[in-house]
Amino acid sequence: MSNSHLFLKSGFPRAPLQNGVGRYVCQLQRLTLKFCKNNGSSRGMRDFIENHLVDFAKENPGIVVYVKPRRHRAPVLVGEYLNGDREWLSVRNSTQTEISKWIDLLKTQNGSSSSLRLRKMWHTDVPSIQGPWTPFLLRSPDAHNQTYPTSEASQPLDVPQTATEKLIELFKQQQLEADTVLEQKRAE
Amino acid sequence: MSLLAQSMRQVLRHTTQRATLNGAMRALSINQKLQQQNKPATIDVAAIAKEHQQECQTVCERINQQVAKSEQGRLFAVVHLCGKQFKVTPGDIILVEGYWPPTTGDEISLDKVLLAGARDFTLIGRPMLDAGLVMVKATIIEKTLTHTKTHFKKKRRKQYMRINFQRSPNTMIRINSIELTRPLDGMAEAEAEHSIRLF
Repeated sequence: MSNSHLFLKSGFPRAPLQNGVGRYVCQLQRLTLKFCKNNGSSRGMRDFIENHLVDFAKENPGIVVYVKPRRHRAPVLVGEYLNGDREWLSVRNSTQTEISKWIDLLKTQNGSSSSLRLRKMWHTDVPSIQGPWTPFLLRSPDAHNQTYPTSEASQPLDVPQTATEKLIELFKQQQLEADTVLEQKRAE
Repeated sequence: MSLLAQSMRQVLRHTTQRATLNGAMRALSINQKLQQQNKPATIDVAAIAKEHQQECQTVCERINQQVAKSEQGRLFAVVHLCGKQFKVTPGDIILVEGYWPPTTGDEISLDKVLLAGARDFTLIGRPMLDAGLVMVKATIIEKTLTHTKTHFKKKRRKQYMRINFQRSPNTMIRINSIELTRPLDGMAEAEAEHSIRLF
């Protein structure tokens, strides 16, 4: 995979005009369908206009639809958005279903976002509610008041038992056991 | 080490063959302190459970009081959505990558809440909070395609070269509100088992 997209304009997810905070507002304002009445490359477009365009316009009263026939030119879709963006799409030799999919994309977009590389999949105005984490969070207050260097903090976390210590421990244990045995005998 | 000791103590609480276990521990040379602790072996489990329950209840009550007075401030939640976890708070925008059926204008509620919190408290799910405890409402605001990604492959000296262009769908979601729907039940929280449902 190439890294050419690294040189694209990059940005963070944004929605225009606080869209969706109160309600959702469709950002597509005008849709222009340009096509030829007899050229073969416009066939799918003509089918779409015949079968689905009226339904589309009825379903989306907020979108103005312009239909523009022109001779011997390839069919084109142009969407104009609330933020002033204009998206131009060539739909040469596309079928009816393909065109309806492209129109759906134009409808659901917020603007022509094709050339923006997103750096994050998240945007927030309030990054932290409980406060950002610091190394002193939830630590005992002793740690704050200490003066360094301290002998306690200088010790390694785990000091293994030395052989001598172990021997002493074993010896003491033996003695204890011997004592208990003696006591038991005395009791008897 | 402390963990091991704890588990050993738990085991000792149940067993009748304490003597054999003690022998085994000596063989393992586990420290003396542990053995001495086990000799009395009179840990009052019921009392500890009761104490724990009481603590749970007082904490829950305090949270409930705060929520009732609506002094809790802004809530946040960690939600699981399409295989990813997002930390969200009202007004946030999150993006779902790849094909996802909901369309623009749809209002959805995100049910898989792993964690919810405010300034003074945090509710942690094990692994998820009870269904319906926290209501996270969101609106779909955009469905679009990513920038064109180029997949370029080449093998040297093998006359092999492929170039593919790809644009995958992206869905932008606005978080509208996060609310606690019902007061917390201290007793239930204390006794709650780990929820069996795993997504």
